[in-house]
Amino acid sequence: MVCIRRATVDDLLAMQACNLMCLPENYQMKYYLYHILSWPQLLYVAEDYNGRIVGYVLAKMEEESNECHGHITSLAVLRTHRKLGLATKLMTAAQAAMEQVYGAEYVSLHVRRSNRAAFNLYTETLGYQINDVEAKYYADGEDAYDMRKNLKGKQIHHHASHGHHHHHHGGGCCSGDAKVVETTQAEDAKATSSK
Amino acid sequence: MASKFGLAGGIPERRVRPIWDAIDSRQFKNALKLLTSLLSKYPKSPYALALKALIHERMGKPDEALTVCLDAKELLYKDDSSLMDDLTLSTLQIVFQRLDHLDLATGCYAHACGRFPNNLELMMGLFNCYVREYSFVKQQLTAIKMYKLAGEERFLLWAVCSIQLQVLCDKSGEKLLLLAEGLLKKHIASHSMHEPEALMVYISLLEQQSKYKDALEVLSGNLGSLLVIEVDKLRIQGRLLARARDYSAAVDVYKKILELSPDDWECFLQYLSCLFEDDSMWKFFDDIDQIHPTKNIECKFSHLTEEMFDSRISSASELVQKLQRDTENSNLRGPHLAEIEIEKRKFLYGKKNDSELLKSLLQYFLKFGHLACYASDVEAFLQVLPPHKKAEFVGMLVENADSVSASATTVLGQTTTILKVQELTGNIFELPLGEIEASAVKLAKLYCQNLPLSKDLDPQESMFGEELLSLINNMLVQLYWRTRDFCYLAEAIMVLELGLAIRGHVWQYKILLLHIYSYIGALPLAFERYKALDVKNILTETVSHHILRQMLESPMWVDLYNLLQDYLKFMDDHLKESADLTFLAYRHRNYSKVIEFVLFKQRLQQSNQYEAARVEASLLQLKQNADSIEEEERVLENLKSGVQLVELSNEMGSRTLRFNEDMQTRPWWTPCPEKNYLLGSFEDFSYCPKENVNKDREENVKRSIQRKSLLPRMVYLSIQCSATALKESLETKGSGGDLKTCEELKSLLEEYTKTLGSSFSDAVEMITEISQGARTFETLGSDLVDWLNFAVFWNAWSLSSQEHWHVLNMLFERLILDRIKSMGSSEMSSCYSDVQVLVQIITEPLAWHSLIIQACTRSSLPSGKKKKKAQHSDHLPSSPMSQAIKDSIHSLCSTVQEVSNWLLNKINNPEDDQVERFLTTLKRNEGPGQVLGVLESFIATSEESEVGSRIFESLKTWSKADSARKTVTAQQRVLREFLQICESKRKLLEKLKQQMTHV
Repeated sequence: MVCIRRATVDDLLAMQACNLMCLPENYQMKYYLYHILSWPQLLYVAEDYNGRIVGYVLAKMEEESNECHGHITSLAVLRTHRKLGLATKLMTAAQAAMEQVYGAEYVSLHVRRSNRAAFNLYTETLGYQINDVEAKYYADGEDAYDMRKNLKGKQIHHHASHGHHHHHHGGGCCSGDAKVVETTQAEDAKATSSK
Repeated sequence: MASKFGLAGGIPERRVRPIWDAIDSRQFKNALKLLTSLLSKYPKSPYALALKALIHERMGKPDEALTVCLDAKELLYKDDSSLMDDLTLSTLQIVFQRLDHLDLATGCYAHACGRFPNNLELMMGLFNCYVREYSFVKQQLTAIKMYKLAGEERFLLWAVCSIQLQVLCDKSGEKLLLLAEGLLKKHIASHSMHEPEALMVYISLLEQQSKYKDALEVLSGNLGSLLVIEVDKLRIQGRLLARARDYSAAVDVYKKILELSPDDWECFLQYLSCLFEDDSMWKFFDDIDQIHPTKNIECKFSHLTEEMFDSRISSASELVQKLQRDTENSNLRGPHLAEIEIEKRKFLYGKKNDSELLKSLLQYFLKFGHLACYASDVEAFLQVLPPHKKAEFVGMLVENADSVSASATTVLGQTTTILKVQELTGNIFELPLGEIEASAVKLAKLYCQNLPLSKDLDPQESMFGEELLSLINNMLVQLYWRTRDFCYLAEAIMVLELGLAIRGHVWQYKILLLHIYSYIGALPLAFERYKALDVKNILTETVSHHILRQMLESPMWVDLYNLLQDYLKFMDDHLKESADLTFLAYRHRNYSKVIEFVLFKQRLQQSNQYEAARVEASLLQLKQNADSIEEEERVLENLKSGVQLVELSNEMGSRTLRFNEDMQTRPWWTPCPEKNYLLGSFEDFSYCPKENVNKDREENVKRSIQRKSLLPRMVYLSIQCSATALKESLETKGSGGDLKTCEELKSLLEEYTKTLGSSFSDAVEMITEISQGARTFETLGSDLVDWLNFAVFWNAWSLSSQEHWHVLNMLFERLILDRIKSMGSSEMSSCYSDVQVLVQIITEPLAWHSLIIQACTRSSLPSGKKKKKAQHSDHLPSSPMSQAIKDSIHSLCSTVQEVSNWLLNKINNPEDDQVERFLTTLKRNEGPGQVLGVLESFIATSEESEVGSRIFESLKTWSKADSARKTVTAQQRVLREFLQICESKRKLLEKLKQQMTHV
């Protein structure tokens, strides 16, 4: 695991460098920032022994639906650092934070139908199950599996729930809300444009 | 407060909703129609007007939008009964912001807050405005007011964040921190504290004031329970204890963390630091300015007696052994690497334990040597070894690699690792040529043998042996460097192109190819490989250094323009929009992120590359339009006559520049954009390991920006000087140009020479001597083009001196013709660096000089082209200056013609012949070409059943001839683009010659 630690804003530079070396992602910079500024507790990076960022997980809380749940937006590990269990450790850290900090009941994610390696990781190692298939989720027409894993949830720390409660009600600032809409659009754009 | 339920800005919601819907779906015309009918019912509604402004703005009519906005604002201010709700204000705010008038938006909110002093919603809007303006003091005052009004913890924290930002960004006095601390303490006493992030801010506040003990007390008190993840809490505790120099307690905490997560490397290093009572690590964390900060920290031992050192090392060893036992079955690298770290510390202490150190590295190899990360894991340890020990280590690896019992993948992994270690240690640069060649051939065979392993892999998965081709390439480039036999480079291209055909996503191949293509002048192809990296967003900041410099020195202006625009647009947009995101962090109560994010914005704003690119974008425009003085004047007008750039130049000295480029991805032969070892000769051991190149770059980059940002103004002033010079010289004996312009130009020239490390008079002496042949132009070094620029503007400053004109003509002639002579009939591949210099001379100094001549001749011509020429040209007597101009035009003309001839000669060389020559270099029986031979014979004999259909397909469709042709075509394109520029210059000079016949 090297060092799995919370991401800082400065890590963004190296995190995006990972994209050069893994599969390129089509997220706008704003989308990363949106995550780290909104749910900083859910972003983890894997820092290698020489200080390099060699992987990261990007996750968020879904607040629209009734059930409070987390969503893994993106997971990346450098090709040179695969098969070392880094992905598992990053995922475990993010899931634990969803559960402990936000009291998430389950966590969801999307994965390409053809991505066998990732699918195996999610089902076999991490215990995710297929919840649904989203037809033509990706820009190139490929389907996505909508996968879920139940968390124990519910043992929310009272302070954390205070924070969460706040999210539901937004800030009450109009332009701030407009921003959220905009970034959600960015996410949709990603869903349709990512490889 | 006028906003009521169901009312939006005083207008029923149902009437407004369709307009917003139309705006959101970009049906602006429809939106405008709906709005017009709304306005007929509510003509005096500021909200309706704000909506109108928004629609105008979205339709791309900023002027109309601003007018309407100002009307709305006036209504808001004038009418006491007017509706002043957040909806109206925030809509106005959006428009004002998009029109770059943040101040007006702030004004509206400030006015509203003055009118309704207890409205929290409006105050939040005002706070938001100050966030956008980065006005930390005003943020603080507003947040405090909100806190007093509502008593909510978050508003207090907003105020505290604003205070921290004042200290961090505005360098305000640290006394403010005391104020913030007091506010928090008071709040905690009466209301306690409820959010983990609030606690983090509180602790950081104490830490900033070095009150570590207080921070520890807070953490261990009731508030500490806010942090729900145990390891997080322990990490903070450890750090605070260490900074409070309570090392023994810190050691205990770090031990606890390591027991919870035995692979946490950073924690292990911190543990050791505390064990050795060494605080250098904490200093290090305050100074991070690299995208991948190296954790190779200096170790201080001098304060420890040998006995103390020994006892502490042994307790560290004990811990590490325990961790190793505990994790025996989990394949963690950390505890094993920790063992090496301990040996390293002993070695640095002077324990002469080199054989133990090597042994521990070898042990690590036996466990993890087949992994792709082995080499980077041990890099920092190898660095402390003396050269002969490094060589010994490589020998040990070769001896111990398991070639018998292990699986094919393990053997492959270990072999790759050994080669990577050889590269890291520089050992590979000491081997004889034949050995390197043999090694490359061996690797090629290994690559082929192992292709079947990747038969069933998904296309996006990493292939077995992928790195071998990069290693082969590095060897081939080295062979080229040492022998100057182009065939090695040609071979390197083929190897990598084949690799890309098999696995299209491998970024290393693309980057290596990009740099080889750049070196041999096949720039369009280099650019294509760069684009294939899919560089976007923040990567434009961290990765574009691979191509930017070559493009700046090339004639490929269209691609360069796009490259610069994409980059600048990303940066400008981000800097403009990032404040919106800051507010997101405030709203989500992620206070620590507010601080980080504002500092991050600063980091991007201070980017050296950003500053340089802004200057270069202006210069590019000037270069592109230099053949027409009218166009050039228009460009200069847009650049405010270069005044702002001069200001930038003046400020540069005191500026902090940040280096966000990721240099680690560069190939060994060009560790930073300014360096390329291939341009110099190979000397034994001249290879240096990748160091932190950015430190050395700062001074040079600063000076280069300083120098370049003076150019537009100097061009402008030179045109001014020239405009009157010839006329005056014809009429009186005037010195040329009006006095003020001349003085300014002189002072800029002095600034300019300073950045070249010279005084004005020395600089003049230097160029004069070079023009006379008393000095060689090699004395100018890599700043040659800058010196020529100086000569051009120096002449413009003293146009009446015939001698100066002569010096300049001679300089151009000498520098250009010498270069053409030395290039002779060489292949483009071996002389591209000379072509690059010529491109720069023609497109910069020579272009500026032609502009100055244009300005001179224009002034001598009848005013305006509409009047007929004949009128006066004959009554202007010829003056010494007009003769000087004529001579200069003549000289430039024939010099440029020489360049064109050289280019034509190259271009007329039939492409097929060139491709053929390229390919024949690869067909030799000995020496270079063997690696390709191995790969080719594998392609010829491979079978689909063996390597799988996908790889088989790529092998069969790949063509050597195609790659050769693409390379040649790309080189030709560069030459043609350059020829076009030269021809356009020549035509301009011919035209000027014509005009001067009338003078």
